[in-house]
Amino acid sequence: MANKKDNATPQTLGLLVEFEDQDQLLKACEAVRDAGLTKTDAHVPFPVHGIDEALGIRPTVLPWLVLAMGLTGGATGLAMQYFMNATVQPGALFSGYPYMISGKPEFSLPANIPVTFELTILLSAFGALFGMLALNKLPNFSNPLFRHKNFARATNDRFFLTIDATDPKFKANKHREMLEKLSPITIDELEADPSSDQIPTFLKYVVIVFLAALTVPPMLVWNARNTTSPLPRIHPIQDMDNQLKKKTQTTSQVFADGRSMRPRVPGSVARGEWQPIDYLTGIVPGGEMTENVALLQDEEAKPADDAQPAEEQPAVDAPADGEPAAAEGAAVEGEDKPPEPDWVTSFPETLDVDTALIERGQARFNIYCAVCHGVSGEGNGLVSLRAFEMEQPTWVQPTNLHDPNVTKQPVGRVFNTITNGIRKMPAYGAQISPEDRWAIVLYLKALQKSRDATIQDVPQIEADALKGQGN
Amino acid sequence: MATVEEVDNITLETPGKRAPLVTGGLKFGSITEIVAGVPEQEKPPLAWYIGFCVSLAALGMLFALIGYLIMTGVGVWGNNVPVYWGWPIVNFVFWVGIGHAGTLISAILCVFRQNWRTSINRFAEAMTIFAVACAGIFPAIHIGRVWVFYWLFPYPSLYLNMWPNFRSPLLWDVFAVSTYATVSVLFWYMGMIPDLATLRDRTKSRLHQIGYSVAALGWTGSARQWHRYEKAYILLAALAAPLVLSVHTIVSFDFAVSQLPGWHTTIFPPYFVAGAVFSGFGMVLTLIVPARQWFGLKDMVTTRHLENICKILLATGSMVGYAYAMEFFMAWYSGVANEQFTFQNRAFGPYYWAYWTMIFCNVCVPQIFWFKKCRTTPWIMFIASIFVNIGMWFERFVITVTSLSRDFLPSSWGYFTPTWVDIGMFVGSFGLFFTLFLLFLRFLPMVAMAEVKSVMPHGEEDHH
Repeated sequence: MANKKDNATPQTLGLLVEFEDQDQLLKACEAVRDAGLTKTDAHVPFPVHGIDEALGIRPTVLPWLVLAMGLTGGATGLAMQYFMNATVQPGALFSGYPYMISGKPEFSLPANIPVTFELTILLSAFGALFGMLALNKLPNFSNPLFRHKNFARATNDRFFLTIDATDPKFKANKHREMLEKLSPITIDELEADPSSDQIPTFLKYVVIVFLAALTVPPMLVWNARNTTSPLPRIHPIQDMDNQLKKKTQTTSQVFADGRSMRPRVPGSVARGEWQPIDYLTGIVPGGEMTENVALLQDEEAKPADDAQPAEEQPAVDAPADGEPAAAEGAAVEGEDKPPEPDWVTSFPETLDVDTALIERGQARFNIYCAVCHGVSGEGNGLVSLRAFEMEQPTWVQPTNLHDPNVTKQPVGRVFNTITNGIRKMPAYGAQISPEDRWAIVLYLKALQKSRDATIQDVPQIEADALKGQGN
Repeated sequence: MATVEEVDNITLETPGKRAPLVTGGLKFGSITEIVAGVPEQEKPPLAWYIGFCVSLAALGMLFALIGYLIMTGVGVWGNNVPVYWGWPIVNFVFWVGIGHAGTLISAILCVFRQNWRTSINRFAEAMTIFAVACAGIFPAIHIGRVWVFYWLFPYPSLYLNMWPNFRSPLLWDVFAVSTYATVSVLFWYMGMIPDLATLRDRTKSRLHQIGYSVAALGWTGSARQWHRYEKAYILLAALAAPLVLSVHTIVSFDFAVSQLPGWHTTIFPPYFVAGAVFSGFGMVLTLIVPARQWFGLKDMVTTRHLENICKILLATGSMVGYAYAMEFFMAWYSGVANEQFTFQNRAFGPYYWAYWTMIFCNVCVPQIFWFKKCRTTPWIMFIASIFVNIGMWFERFVITVTSLSRDFLPSSWGYFTPTWVDIGMFVGSFGLFFTLFLLFLRFLPMVAMAEVKSVMPHGEEDHH
């Protein structure tokens, strides 16, 4: 091989002079500098004071590099923050995103100083380290100096001077003599690396294989982007996006009706919302009429058709649309009717029967009931009057609430009528809360009483006042 | 060299006659022998193995707990209404504070040409980097969904369609801490290049040689390289010095920019920086006192070095004490009832024990350094430094937790109790710190050999 031939007569790269002391080195440096040599260098374990002058090293440009990097960092920091927080480019792929926070300005220098400062420092620091390495031509792992047996002590406790053979003024013998006078430990000729500069063959293959392997991931990505696949996307971080649950308005094979949205289980009652049965129905609990007690608690789970209390079914079903008009009370009493439930005869204990409740009931009555039954309850509400005026054939006159059949009814039955409706009257249970229904019942009872009350029914004090008025 | 020994134990600066930075009549070669001898040992001492196993176990616990946290959610911590910032933030500020002394010793003392820094700067810088690593973990796992941590950085995202809010102190924190970690690593690594070359040139092991060769980047100690290196180093120091101040200032903004009584105060930036220097030097002392004993570095880390550290502890401890007093003054002087209540509550409320622990450790204990005996006796300063570490953790606890637990609305007041996960993670962070530190002691030069050589009496005397 060609290298073998070089080995026999190695090329001289220069002189390597070893000193024990930094002062001897400095003197030698000054000597070679004065001899006009410029391609010289010293190798020392620590920065020796005065060696720059002794070797004639000129100041480095590094500070300017660092300044440029610092200015770049600062400008980048400010521009970045301005672009990202204080501008909008509608429709652009990457638009700025201004935050409106407490009416503060989108771009305010004080708030943007910290990031600007940090980026200035960061880029300056990169400039300092990487600039230094670049100017020093590092990393450099192949250096003829490393092959010299003594040179290892250059990083420990010895001081070396090198003179490059390519220096135009370099004369090996002359300078060797000159340096020998300066009491060096050794003066050696630095020889070129005898080994080949060529990259070893196996390394070439390794590099080729490595580079080929590097192209595999981009190719896979390219392939994935340009083909279709029936498989779902790879979703490495779930972020709770995909869960073992059915979303709204989707199908399910678990349930017979195929719907994933389920109604509440009938009869389920929320915690703390349980009410007494008689309060909700107007029927004393115990009989078979109040069998499905939980269902009564559950307004939502009670479809109008099938969840109504069983006892009202006949009453609702009996009068067909075309049935002749009849008073409510008469219709109920006349038929061969199923057994009457055990109506509640007094107001529930949980209810505070007072003036406020009557007034509440009056307001509700005038809103919901008076349109048909009339404000005075005589079955002459505005809707009814209008219907007769228009001669509506199917219209049934609303019950006169002062009819003895009605006035005799226990409060529970009136409550039940409001709740579930009767004949033509629709159910109001869904619209009026139980308490308001009781309030209406209370008001109705007061209204009825007002028609056939005697002076004895009035408290003494107010009776006196009434007498006075009458006179 | 004989003259050196006569002034061996002088720790006072007498005009015209400086105490030597390196004692014991060491030569350049012996510096290398001592420092490089540590990573060159075939087997480290048994104590190293024991310490490493314990640290590794604690580190394993940290990782296990982080895994548990990520799988379960941040509810495993004691953070809850009203104390949303519990131990994770306390630990973050604690570690970042410790991480300041390293760069401070290196950078500020380098800029001011304080040559005594040379024998402890490598040590302190390593401590900085490992402390910042510990600090970085806590805010990272505090964000909840750790796997999208990159949302903190301004990267173009078609998914989010938005950028970070650059007016938020928490974002400043991201930039400050990541810049600080990066620059600290660069500074540390750059300072180590010549010493890595020394190890490369001495090691007998082929494996070590490859490793050190790659790390040393082919450094030959050329005068031209040194020229640029020194310039780069002093520039980096000049850049790092304001960076140190800015980072803890910005950390303090996390608190000071909010409007919570006890946080909303302009004294925070200088107070935090002083506290950071204080805690950092405390940790340096904790580490260096045993290390100089075990690794025979007494001639390089001399009593004078220790005494200087003690003086800094005394100074910064007193500054911190001044800040504590000034907070009370400002609360009173502001005339704001909320502020006044907050500070009264700090000292005499449910967390009085934390407050007085802090006062004792940070303000009272350093006062012993008025006495020369305490400044020059290693075991006394070691114990004092442990107190300083404890005190500075409590300082962050007091600031974070007492203010949050008693904010404007009495109806939302609460009392913070850490969970076992909180405690385990804090202990685990020490595991991370000491694992890294022991690896550093094992494989890297713990004293900046080249820098120590350049300030040795031999060099100075001969040159002048």
